[in-house]
Amino acid sequence: MKMLKDPEHQVAGHMAKDGRLGPLVDGEGRFFKPFQSNGRGENEAKFYESFSSNKNVPDHIRGYFPVYHGTQVVEASNGSGKLPHIVLDDVVYGYPNPSGMDVKIGSRTWYPGVSQQYFNQCLKNDRETTSVSLGFRHAGFKIFDHQESRFWIVEYKVVHGYKVDDARLVLRKFVSSNSLADSIPDCAFASEVYGSSSGILAQLLELKAWFETQTLYHFSSCSVYMFYENESILMKGGEGARAQVKLVDFTHVLDGNGVVDHNFLGGLSSFIKFIQDILES
Amino acid sequence: MLKVPEHQVAGHIAKDGKPGPLVDDKGRFFKPLQGDSRGEIEVKFYESFSSNTEVPDHIRRYFPVYHGTQAVEGSDGAAMIVLENLLSKYSKPSVMDVKMGSRTWYPEASEEYIQKCLRKDARSTTVSSGFRISGFEVYDHKELSFWKPDRKLLNGIKVDGARLALRKFVSSNTLSDTSSKPDSAFASSVYGGSRGVLTQLLELKTWFENQTFYHFNSCSILIIYENESIHEDGARAQVKLVDFAHVHDGNGVIDHNFLGGLCSFINFVRDILQSSDESTDN
Repeated sequence: MKMLKDPEHQVAGHMAKDGRLGPLVDGEGRFFKPFQSNGRGENEAKFYESFSSNKNVPDHIRGYFPVYHGTQVVEASNGSGKLPHIVLDDVVYGYPNPSGMDVKIGSRTWYPGVSQQYFNQCLKNDRETTSVSLGFRHAGFKIFDHQESRFWIVEYKVVHGYKVDDARLVLRKFVSSNSLADSIPDCAFASEVYGSSSGILAQLLELKAWFETQTLYHFSSCSVYMFYENESILMKGGEGARAQVKLVDFTHVLDGNGVVDHNFLGGLSSFIKFIQDILES
Repeated sequence: MLKVPEHQVAGHIAKDGKPGPLVDDKGRFFKPLQGDSRGEIEVKFYESFSSNTEVPDHIRRYFPVYHGTQAVEGSDGAAMIVLENLLSKYSKPSVMDVKMGSRTWYPEASEEYIQKCLRKDARSTTVSSGFRISGFEVYDHKELSFWKPDRKLLNGIKVDGARLALRKFVSSNTLSDTSSKPDSAFASSVYGGSRGVLTQLLELKTWFENQTFYHFNSCSILIIYENESIHEDGARAQVKLVDFAHVHDGNGVIDHNFLGGLCSFINFVRDILQSSDESTDN
């Protein structure tokens, strides 16, 4: 098996840098996510098992989820020995220079049945961030600055402290070609990345339609991960931005039990409105 | 002449010397201004809403018509909000009050209020289903009388209980007899049809996907339909939004809390409609 290394383009979550425990890639299209502690890894694997064999999920929706390749025990990134990892398709494989953004969807990240401690922590996070007010919050991003020719990354603590205006601003910066230090993003790529028949808005609307009726799963604490290619975006007649939306992070997925995931759906609808506003302005 | 309204299913009633709502014979409903700024907020909402030119007419009809405030005799000169009496055109209405949203608290509320709401929301179907049934009254076509479930019992119901209540609400059979299954006889005339509850809820949903004017915290959807001559004249089902004591500015953000709950409620209604359609086909 090929040598595993840290993914270059990870924007959120635990990172394997500096000897910590984080995901790895094999450089050939596979992504290895270490089992998270306290049973979360098992929960995530269980979700992927269920989802991949669930005949009630339509094909066009399946495309929004990373392809699952089972679990594998491999050498952990922090040198702690062999650990079980979830093996997925590396969604950014084939994207030489992607800008990416991870947005946690839902006005609450807790759910019925959790411990008091977990509930208190989630509620605190939800109220401190934009989750309660907007129905979503930014978890991380990596945006290519076309003027500086390098990626702009913001420290997690800062992103966690974002307010409504910051959220709007960073969604504009995500699709801009001018310097990201500039306070007025030009949104030059908005119509190609967000708009267009296969752009991010179209994909989010397709997901939303499924969420209005699916009662299979409740996706607590899941993120929308959106990304696009920077190299081809500037080239005329090239492949274009190839913007994609993927749902990620399934450590807290529950059975829907006949009820729609109204928490995710509300937050998703709010996020869609933010994107629509940017396209219209 | 003012009198106590007949079909109040939820909300404050006249108790212990405190005023409750009243109705007159001209189709008006008098709601006492609730204490500690809630009354002011509700008035502020109605004032804003009635003059908001950006609210489309087809959405305006889901809200009670506002007739200002008035000091009413016999209630110690206390000011009351004057609204359209939503039941004045009905002779035998079945009514249900559904509090919408997976949370009834909101960021602007006091810490004490937030904690109180969190407890209530967790104990009811609010957290799990995005809405809870505050109360309902339904006409029994066999007994020829109205039936309403015990309030305490209603507060403790879970998801299956909510589904059952929504079925009972459109049934004609003996409702106080808990052993017989609700027949959902009026499901398609109340919930279905081109002007039924489902169609109205879907129209509201479209507005909520875009409107950023108001956040309707703790608001209810009232569902009303006519039992008198229901077979001959149809149910005349209506959906109305009520209770605006906690409405705040949207500030450019959609009311995702209400919208999520509304979508969930729509799914519950649709399920009942589909299963009742299937059973009539058999």
